[in-house]
Amino acid sequence: MTCSFHRVERMENRTSLKKKFLQKWIKGLQLYSPSENLTTITERRKFIKLSADIAMASVRGSMTKWSRALIANASCNSENKVLVEQISGCSTEILRKSAPDLGRACRLQASVAKKITSKKILKRSRRMRKREPLPSRLLPSSIAKRLVKKRTQLLKSLLPGGESMDDESLIKETLDYIVSLRAQVDVMRSLARMSGFKSS
Amino acid sequence: MSSRRSRQSSSSGSSRISDDQIIELISKLRQFLPEIRDNRRSNKVSASKVLQETCSYIRNLHREVDDLSERLSQLLSTIDADSPEAAIIRSLIQQ
Repeated sequence: MTCSFHRVERMENRTSLKKKFLQKWIKGLQLYSPSENLTTITERRKFIKLSADIAMASVRGSMTKWSRALIANASCNSENKVLVEQISGCSTEILRKSAPDLGRACRLQASVAKKITSKKILKRSRRMRKREPLPSRLLPSSIAKRLVKKRTQLLKSLLPGGESMDDESLIKETLDYIVSLRAQVDVMRSLARMSGFKSS
Repeated sequence: MSSRRSRQSSSSGSSRISDDQIIELISKLRQFLPEIRDNRRSNKVSASKVLQETCSYIRNLHREVDDLSERLSQLLSTIDADSPEAAIIRSLIQQ
């Protein structure tokens, strides 16, 4: 009995999520001016995707880490600042105050990339030195642990701001991110379908 | 941050994400992930399997967004927020 209630609640949340996303996305798209350098298909595609991502993150605002990180990453580029402010409705200064990761995100991106490369080099040299395989490595439990660790890392790389998340918040953020992505895809697909009808 | 992580792994003998959290994640993801939904013995799905399905699902969603952006950039030669398309979608979503 509680299952159906939750399903209805989820449906309503899903609709309101799509509505909010569309409202914000349209606000961002209004910035598009054909007179500037947005006339090539590539530029248009990038603009559409960027405004959609920012709108999606802006719906969640500062409630989730992934949305804060996404907006922070977008704001790193000075060209995108106007778009961010237009969609989120507040200046990047306010965003920076409410989300302290905003300034850190840009530096974090560079440092994380460096760390990953240096870790890979270290791993490679370690592997080459140890010739004898340790028996403990082949235990199913340790193999499973390594697999979980590896896939957790992969998930973190897929989530905006995921690198600095602990395991518990990673799960909550993942669920929220997936729900938001689905709403974004639904709305974009509807628009593409509508526009397809118009042109045919 | 990295020091906290190494402390965690050395103190807990089990995997990094606890089993309770996995069960919670599975029950919520069940609606999204067809692999796990069709699995009868779903309460025995491994953590790594859930993570794998989740990662591939997110990657698929990313790819869809890219494809749709591509398609929209071709269809919308002028991005007009007051266009009839946006109005139609707005009304559809409000239903």
